[in-house]
Amino acid sequence: MSSTPSIQKRQSNTTRWLLAPGIIWMCLFLVLPILMIVYVSFWTQTTFNISSDPTLASWKQFFSSDTYTGALWTTVRIWLIVLTTTFIVGYPTALFVGLFIKSKTLSTILLVVCVIPFWTSFLIRVLAWRPMLGKEGAINIVLMKVGIIQQPIEVLLFTELSVIIGMTQIYCVFMVGPIAFMLGRIDRNIIEAARDLGASFGRIFWKIIFPLSLPGVIVGAIFVSVMVLGEFATSGALSGRKVNLLGNIIVTQVGSLKWAMASVVGVILTVVMGIVIAGFLRIVDLKREL
Amino acid sequence: MDTAVFRLDGVTKRYGELVALDNATLEAGANEYISFLGPSGSGKTTLLRVIAGFEAPEAGRVHFQGRDITNVPAHERGIGFVFQNFALFPHLSVIQNVGFGLTHGKSGLTPAQVEQRALEMIELVGLSGMEGRGVDQISGGQRQRVALARTLTMQPKLVLLDEPLGALDANLRGRMRNELRAIRERLGVTFVHVTGSETEALAMGDRVVVLDRGRIIQIGAPGQVYDHPASPDVAHYLNRFNLFDGKLNAGIFTGAFGAVPVPAAVKGDRDVYAVRYDRMQAVPVGTATAGPSLRATFIASEYLGSAVMNFFDAGDGHVIEMEHHLSLGAPQEFEPRQDYLLTWNPEQAIVFGREVR
Repeated sequence: MSSTPSIQKRQSNTTRWLLAPGIIWMCLFLVLPILMIVYVSFWTQTTFNISSDPTLASWKQFFSSDTYTGALWTTVRIWLIVLTTTFIVGYPTALFVGLFIKSKTLSTILLVVCVIPFWTSFLIRVLAWRPMLGKEGAINIVLMKVGIIQQPIEVLLFTELSVIIGMTQIYCVFMVGPIAFMLGRIDRNIIEAARDLGASFGRIFWKIIFPLSLPGVIVGAIFVSVMVLGEFATSGALSGRKVNLLGNIIVTQVGSLKWAMASVVGVILTVVMGIVIAGFLRIVDLKREL
Repeated sequence: MDTAVFRLDGVTKRYGELVALDNATLEAGANEYISFLGPSGSGKTTLLRVIAGFEAPEAGRVHFQGRDITNVPAHERGIGFVFQNFALFPHLSVIQNVGFGLTHGKSGLTPAQVEQRALEMIELVGLSGMEGRGVDQISGGQRQRVALARTLTMQPKLVLLDEPLGALDANLRGRMRNELRAIRERLGVTFVHVTGSETEALAMGDRVVVLDRGRIIQIGAPGQVYDHPASPDVAHYLNRFNLFDGKLNAGIFTGAFGAVPVPAAVKGDRDVYAVRYDRMQAVPVGTATAGPSLRATFIASEYLGSAVMNFFDAGDGHVIEMEHHLSLGAPQEFEPRQDYLLTWNPEQAIVFGREVR
C-alpha cells in the first residue's frame, strides 16, 4: 500500500536531480545575465563613468540617433536578404542531395563535403573572401584577362554586396542540412504515386515535395536567422566598416566602455530574435513534423 | 475483336546481370481478378511495375486496351497503381488524398465536381464521415481504403495492387480480401494483385499467375493450379505439397520410400513426387499399408483451428507435413520422437518427370 506513493516520490526526486544541473546552469549563465543586461540598459552613463541611477537616456539616444536606428534597419535588411539568398542557393542544393541522389551513402558524403569549409576557422573563411573579391582580387583578374571587363569591378569588396556574398557562403550549409534531411525522409513511392495520378513535376513539387520539406526550411531559416542577426565579424571584415549591424554597434560600445548603450542594443537584438523565431515557429508545428 | 484489357508479349527486364523478367507473355480479360504469386525476387513486382510504366522493359511489348503502351509514360496509361505501403500524401486529408489526381491532373473538373467524385469514392470504400481526417489519424485498414479510393477516382480500366494486404494484420487481411473483391465486382474493372501468400492468391484470383526467377511458370484458375501444378516449383510455392526427389524410369518412381509404379506423370524439369499435405496418413510402424510408405519421426504438431498440422522428420532433415482436417474427426495423437509409417494413395500423388513426353 505504501509502495505506490514512495515510487512516485522517488521518481519525482529523480526528475528533480536530472533537471537541476540544466536549470542551475541556465539561470546562472542565461536568465541572470539577460536580466542584468535589461537592468544595465537603464543605468546612467557619463563619459568616463557609469552609475546605477535609473534613466531612459540610453534608450532615448538609441531611438533618436540615425546611426543606431539605421543599424537596426541594416540588420533587418541584411538578415532578410541573406535569408533569401541562402534559401535560393540552398534549396536546389538540398533538393539534389536529399531527393535526386538515390544512394544514401552518396548523399551523406555530399553533405559532409558541404561542411568541409567549417574545418577552417571562421575568420579565415571570412578573410579569404578579400583576395577573392578585391579590386585586384581573383574575380576581377579573371574577368579582365578573359576580356569581359576593362575596369575592375570595385563594388565587389567593402560594400553591402560583399557582406551578403560572405554571409551567404558561410550560412548556406545551415539551410541545406535541415532541408536535405527532410527531403531524404520523403517516401519515393509518394512521388511516384503523385506522378501516376497525373500530376506534373511542378504540381508534385509545390503540392507534395515543398510542403513536406517545409519543417526543414523553417529549422534552416531559424539557424540562419539567429546567426545572421547576431553577426558582426563578416560585416566588420568585408564591409570596411561601412555596414554597421547591431552586432558591430555592441562591439564598439563595449570597446569604449559604454555599457548602458551596449545593453540597450543587446536587449533590442534579443527582442528581434525572439520575434523572428516565434514567427517561424508559428508557420509549422515542429513538434508534429519532426 | 481484341477482348483483352492488357497483353504482354515477351517482356524482358534486366538489372545488370540479373534477369528480373524473362520473356513474360500474358493476357488479361476485362472484369477479371488476377493474382501474381511468387517468392520474393521472382519478378512479380517488376512485372507489375512494367505494366504500370514505372520500369521500361528491354524487350517485348505491353498492350493495353488494344494500344501499344510500351513507350507511354505511367501517368498517360490510365492504369491505377496501389502501393505496398499505400504511399499516401501524409500532409493531406483523406478527401485531399482521394481527390489529388482529379485536382492536379488533367481532369478538367471544377473543384465542386472533384469533391463530389471524391466523396462518392470515399463512400464506395466505406470511409464516409472520415473525409476530413488526416491520413495519420486513421487505422491501417482505413489507409488501405484511402489508397484504393485515390486510385479508383481516376476511373482506371486496370488497377495494379502491389502486395496490398502485406502491411495489414491477419484479421484485417481476411476482411480486406472480401472488400477488395466486392469493390472490384461493383466497378467491373480488372484487378492485378501481387502477393507472396499462396492462400491470398488462391482465394482472390479468378486466375493465378505463378512466377519464378523472372519466368511465368503457370497460369490458371485457382482450382486448376492447386490440383494440377505445372511444375515442381509451382507445387513448392503453393506450400501444400510434400515433395520427394527421386528418379522416374519407365513408369516407376524410385525415391526415399522405395519404388512406386506411376500411372501418369507430368512433364517437369526434374523428377519429383508430390503428395498433398492432407493426403498423407500416419500409421504405427509395422502396420501393413496398401500404398507406398515412408518411416519418419514425429516432431511436433500445430493446431490451426480447423485443422491440425503434424510435422515428421524423414531422417535426412527433410520435414514432411501432414494436415488433418478436424471436420474428419478428432486428430490422432502422436508420441514425440516416435517413428511412424507415412502412407498415401499413389493415385492422388502428382509426379513430375523429365522422361514424360
